[in-house]
Amino acid sequence: MRSPVVVRGLVAALAALATAVVGVIAAGAFDPVPAPNGVPPGSNLLMLVLAIALVVGFVAYAAVEWAQTRRLDSIARQFSTRTIVLMALAIPLNIVLGQTVASALKLPVYLDSIGTILVGVLAGPIAGAATGILSNIAWTFVLAGTPFGSPFAWPFAIVAAEIGFVAGLFGYAGVFRSRPNTPLPRLVAGIGLAVVLLGALAWWGVLPFYQDLCEPGRGPRQLCFELLSPTVAADPVFLTLAALAIGLVGLGLVAGVMRLVRNRDLGVIVTLAAGVICGIVSAFIAAPIAALVFGGVTGSGTDLLVALFQQAGSDLQQAVLQQSLISDPIDKAITYLLVFTLLGAVSRRQAARFPQGERALGTDGP
Amino acid sequence: MAQAQRSLAPEDVELLARLAPAAPTAYHRLNPLTKATAAAGVTLAAIVLGGYVVPVALLIGVVLPSAAAAGVLRRVARLSLAASAPILVSVVLVSVFTRAGTTVLFEIGPFDATLEGVDFAARITLRLVVVAMALVLFGLTTDPRSLVADLERRGVAPRLTFAIAAALEAVPAMVERTRAVAAAQRARGLDTEGSVGARLRGIRPLAGPVVLSAFAEVEERSLALEARGFGRPGHREPLWTPTDSPGQRAARWFVVAGVAAALAAVLVAQAAGVLAGLP
Repeated sequence: MRSPVVVRGLVAALAALATAVVGVIAAGAFDPVPAPNGVPPGSNLLMLVLAIALVVGFVAYAAVEWAQTRRLDSIARQFSTRTIVLMALAIPLNIVLGQTVASALKLPVYLDSIGTILVGVLAGPIAGAATGILSNIAWTFVLAGTPFGSPFAWPFAIVAAEIGFVAGLFGYAGVFRSRPNTPLPRLVAGIGLAVVLLGALAWWGVLPFYQDLCEPGRGPRQLCFELLSPTVAADPVFLTLAALAIGLVGLGLVAGVMRLVRNRDLGVIVTLAAGVICGIVSAFIAAPIAALVFGGVTGSGTDLLVALFQQAGSDLQQAVLQQSLISDPIDKAITYLLVFTLLGAVSRRQAARFPQGERALGTDGP
Repeated sequence: MAQAQRSLAPEDVELLARLAPAAPTAYHRLNPLTKATAAAGVTLAAIVLGGYVVPVALLIGVVLPSAAAAGVLRRVARLSLAASAPILVSVVLVSVFTRAGTTVLFEIGPFDATLEGVDFAARITLRLVVVAMALVLFGLTTDPRSLVADLERRGVAPRLTFAIAAALEAVPAMVERTRAVAAAQRARGLDTEGSVGARLRGIRPLAGPVVLSAFAEVEERSLALEARGFGRPGHREPLWTPTDSPGQRAARWFVVAGVAAALAAVLVAQAAGVLAGLP
């Protein structure tokens, strides 16, 4: 008689695989006509399909466990009391900080995943993913009749799960450790490595999705680096404005980073790079959801970017992806930096009580 | 439960009676999972099936009658429109003026309003209004504690249901704390109106104290919960749980099966090329 856990695992894996296959076919990856921008067709949906497949696998696991034991215990049993309480406080952090800081400072940053990232870093990837899912589901279903509720948060539970999971993995890898007074050669090497890594990611993973904004024959990799090249339909003035807005936020970010780098803390660079990577992955998962469910808008200032990209000739999916690939890395980089500075101020004794606290933050500190 | 009640003092019986949340109408007295399934079913059906007919049918046939039966029709309308106003304005502006289309209705500067854009905006608006109304109806007719108690009765780990319930209770307190922190930092000279760089630097003084005080609270709460036996395994007998009925159970499975069938039908139709691809 097979162990019940093995049965659950097998069913979950099969369900995830079946969903992935169905999703890849539905996304048109086997379309015989290649897309003009050279990217394989349906590839922008691939991350979403994978994320949905993982969630379906998880739901299948829970369903089989329910059928076997009439309870849903195995996930929560791994969480210590402290982790549960941290989750219970991280969910309001997501909801409250997301609304109040953005409105107080009038900045296009959301901070609505800060609690999820904190739980992921301190308590591990599974706890982070659980926090993300619970946070978005509770924001919609539990808070629905209150002034804090949002009926439109639930579709992004998958993105929140991915953010928490990735933050847990980065925490496990020690990304958020403070590394003050790094010797200058190592600091320069670290910055160089980060630039190369992010540059490669942008070159192969991000820029191809802006191909359709440029004239045919001139890819984004050749000439359209700054979105200022003449495009087919849009007024260059609007594209210039968009580039300026992006540049301003970027400058502010760099200014903030420079202050921290004065301590010669390599951890700032590592955290920043990790935040950009998390943002890019999140963009690929969130953009199709926003396009399919909400027609591409979220009711915030970034909708202006979607409008501009659509005006420039992109269709809805492309425009939303192009907007997300700009705003999500910026938002996640700022959130990761904030988490980095805040965790640097938490006492190591307190942090070590969480399952992953010592591993994530190291033992040198307050 | 009734057996236990026979041996309880009258004050305890009265206390237990007070634990049940107010349920003025029959709709309120439905099992929370039934109401949640109804809200989720309407939401998913409106999104998966799309178009004009399905959302309007759901609105007129399911959402509005339920809201009227529960006596919250005006509140649902008011709250859902308030919650969805920003996104609806965005949808209309972005879709009408920038979505690709051939039939131009009128022009404003470089932007032209197309019929295809108006059609898309109308479909999305209808869908979002139905979704918002269904979910707000659920929120207004369901006490979160009864939802959590029902989940616990069905076997969801009590630790998870505690996390959800505690999160709900912590939200108003955290809003107050954030306001107090913002006021205190402004009194200390925090610049919330200046350049982008200054405002970015302002994130840490605003968010920092809130997050760090939450950490301190985690310490205290964990100790208090452990002292009250939070971590101990074994069965817990809830003092009050919502009731359920076989009819509601059948209705829930019917909704789940219906939505799954609709999703499968849409996917098959897309794969067979009958339906247009993803928007």
